[in-house]
Amino acid sequence: MSAPVWQRRRAAAADVWRQFRTNRGALFGAAFIALLVLFSLIAPLLIDRDGLEVVTAAGGSLEPPSGEYWLGTDESGRSVMLLTLWGARVSLLVGFAATLLSVVVGTLVGVVSAHFGGWISAVLMRITDFFLVLPALVLAAVLMAVLPKSMWTVIMAIGVTSWPTTARLVRAQTLSVESRPYIERSKALGGGHTHVIGKHVLPSVLPLVFANTTLVVGGSIIAESTLAFLGMSGPEISWGSMLDRANQSGAVTAGAWWYLLPPGIAIVLVVLSFTLVGRGLETVLNPRLKGER
Amino acid sequence: MTPLLELQDLGVTYRTADGDLEAVRGVDLTLQPGETLGVAGESGSGKSTVAASVLRLLPKSAKVTGNVLLDGQDVGAMRWGTLRAARWSEASVVFQGAMHALNPVQRVGKQIAEPIRLHTAASEAEIDSRVRELLDQVDLPAAKARAYPHELSGGQKQRVMIAMALACDPRLVIADEPTTALDVIVQAQVLDLLGRLVEQRGIGLVFITHDLSVLASTCSRIAVMYRGRIVESGDAKEVITAPRHEHTAALAAAFPEVGDAGSRYAPATARPLPDEGERDPQQPVLLSARDLRVHFRDRTGSTVAAVNGVELDVRRDEIVALVGQSGSGKTTLARTLLGLQRPTSGAVYYDGEPLPVSTSGLRDYRRRVQLVLQDPSSALNPRHTVYESVAEGPRIHRLDGDERDLVVSALEAAELRPAEQYLTRLPHELSGGQRQRVVIAGALALNPSVLVADEPVASLDASVRGEILGLLLRLRRQLGVAGLVITHDLGLAWNIADRVAVMYRGELVEVGAVEQVLLEPRHDYTKALLAALPSAGRDDARYAG
Repeated sequence: MSAPVWQRRRAAAADVWRQFRTNRGALFGAAFIALLVLFSLIAPLLIDRDGLEVVTAAGGSLEPPSGEYWLGTDESGRSVMLLTLWGARVSLLVGFAATLLSVVVGTLVGVVSAHFGGWISAVLMRITDFFLVLPALVLAAVLMAVLPKSMWTVIMAIGVTSWPTTARLVRAQTLSVESRPYIERSKALGGGHTHVIGKHVLPSVLPLVFANTTLVVGGSIIAESTLAFLGMSGPEISWGSMLDRANQSGAVTAGAWWYLLPPGIAIVLVVLSFTLVGRGLETVLNPRLKGER
Repeated sequence: MTPLLELQDLGVTYRTADGDLEAVRGVDLTLQPGETLGVAGESGSGKSTVAASVLRLLPKSAKVTGNVLLDGQDVGAMRWGTLRAARWSEASVVFQGAMHALNPVQRVGKQIAEPIRLHTAASEAEIDSRVRELLDQVDLPAAKARAYPHELSGGQKQRVMIAMALACDPRLVIADEPTTALDVIVQAQVLDLLGRLVEQRGIGLVFITHDLSVLASTCSRIAVMYRGRIVESGDAKEVITAPRHEHTAALAAAFPEVGDAGSRYAPATARPLPDEGERDPQQPVLLSARDLRVHFRDRTGSTVAAVNGVELDVRRDEIVALVGQSGSGKTTLARTLLGLQRPTSGAVYYDGEPLPVSTSGLRDYRRRVQLVLQDPSSALNPRHTVYESVAEGPRIHRLDGDERDLVVSALEAAELRPAEQYLTRLPHELSGGQRQRVVIAGALALNPSVLVADEPVASLDASVRGEILGLLLRLRRQLGVAGLVITHDLGLAWNIADRVAVMYRGELVEVGAVEQVLLEPRHDYTKALLAALPSAGRDDARYAG
């Protein structure tokens, strides 16, 4: 029996892809992200780790771009190009992991609060409000001070502060689905909470959550860069920490533009790509945003 | 004399993504001043498109052929300025769905005054007195001009819509389903008002509806539309009592006359009904309510008794019709009987046992008593195939037996044959009647003893109505499934029910056999309901049963 279901889902996915394809910006973003993810996965095979270690780096301090070092070197003689390429790994990992955390928590809170209503909703929504008004940077700074300095703490800090928006979105969508008569029919058939949520609510809420997820990834990458730039990150090489070191080593006053621009442009490109993809998906999945054609 | 409105060979084609759609073809109509023309037809027959073409209110994708002459002038050839002047001062429209056609944030007085401001140079004082005059014409107190739409009842809003339509003294009024969302009593008032206006002011009225019995009491002539064409037109009485086209006959039969012996236990269905077997009058009581009360708290904090001390029995092998107007508490009572709403006090019994409160107890109970909702298009999850929708119940209850067999036999029982053909369809690929059958099949898959149906045919077309009612009657006769049918339609009760319970303001004011309650009503409210029914001009047949 599941054959027609899968057929239909495949057809629906193909339809989304067909509409998505007409949006050039979104297509560019998707292609860029795909390339970057692929590269990040195989980077350890392509890049010689020695060039990334301060002790083994071969170049001179803050050398301008040359034939050997296309984007120059940093204050310890490492190739800025290698650092930027390697930094994509941490930025993407933090971006995806923090998003996963925030989306899972946000969806859970949103669905539970809308489905059960009453005091459960009241309590959950007040907690959501609390996190919504909490200054994200301050909370992250406190967490970094209390917990061990590592990438995972950064992920936690970002995830914990970014789920409330997802929760609000999911709650609104769930409320609108739950007001449909087929939910009442399902209850009258004897369906319990898990049945109603699993069979009816989640399948219609998840597409929108997915589009939202892509937007959250971009935000998380910016948050990671901000925290790293402020010195609140682990020892891993990321774009934010590169900018932090460039700032501290006096690259700005030395006019070493090749040290500042590559990580900065990389952040802009990645976040822009995720935003383009997210907006593109949102337009396809949420017909209300389409407007006149 | 120049006719007020003349349609000559009118055709309207909509350009859609799936090719051209001919909504109206070769329609010829004429209307003289002081005359009322009824246009009847089902959804999709093109009747609203005809109405919109008179004032060129059609969307851009519509292509119009033929002529629309308003007072001898071709509307299609009018310049924009002339057309704008013609809208409302020559001809005006009473739109369907008064609740949506009024602006919720403006006082109704201001909305009635809007066309006057647009079309005349009247002073504020003149406008004020004109609004008061208009409200008086539609039997509303002048003070209501300061009310917002949400402060008015459905009937009052509809009257405001009529006042708006009359604001610029139009000679032609087009009323598009003006009473569809209204109760019978309010409907009678609105129809009476429109009839008086035609008589007193000599305006022409085009009355569009799907309910032939409404037209019979208001119109002198009727045109019946079917698939974009006029299939029959003529004198109102003749069309209804002696329809020539089969579609007209189907429309007329769909709204039976209460008291007409021919339509008792005989809904308009094409399939033969099984014969009534031996009926044991002392069947056991399956579902009963004892002193049931459900109270709600409204926005101001005061308590509202939606269900107020209801005593009701539903026996095996009988259909009980629960009749009342909107807001009388019918739906709340049904939800409470199903255990979807907790009663404030009193109790519901099934088979002599009080309704369980535990989750698993309620789940078992739901195998016995099932629900059929009003609007089948929203009662099915649009993402689920027919198979999944019907299998949902058996899956929840982990019923024994092959799931596919269960689904197929439930679909067959709901008369969707051959069932295999429907399994993989999605709701949007089905017609309204087929969807309602899927909902009923989903309930039957659990093999229930009682079906609670909340307005099961209110959102269906007239021709489908009889088929669904026939199905409910067949289910009772063949399987002994008891039914509690909630409706505002007394004709439905006459068609299939054994007993009627009349609900008024949360209380059952009269309960008894159909013949007794509908032919010899005792309570004033039942009498008012019956008096408000539009009579189809078959008075001689009345009370003959």
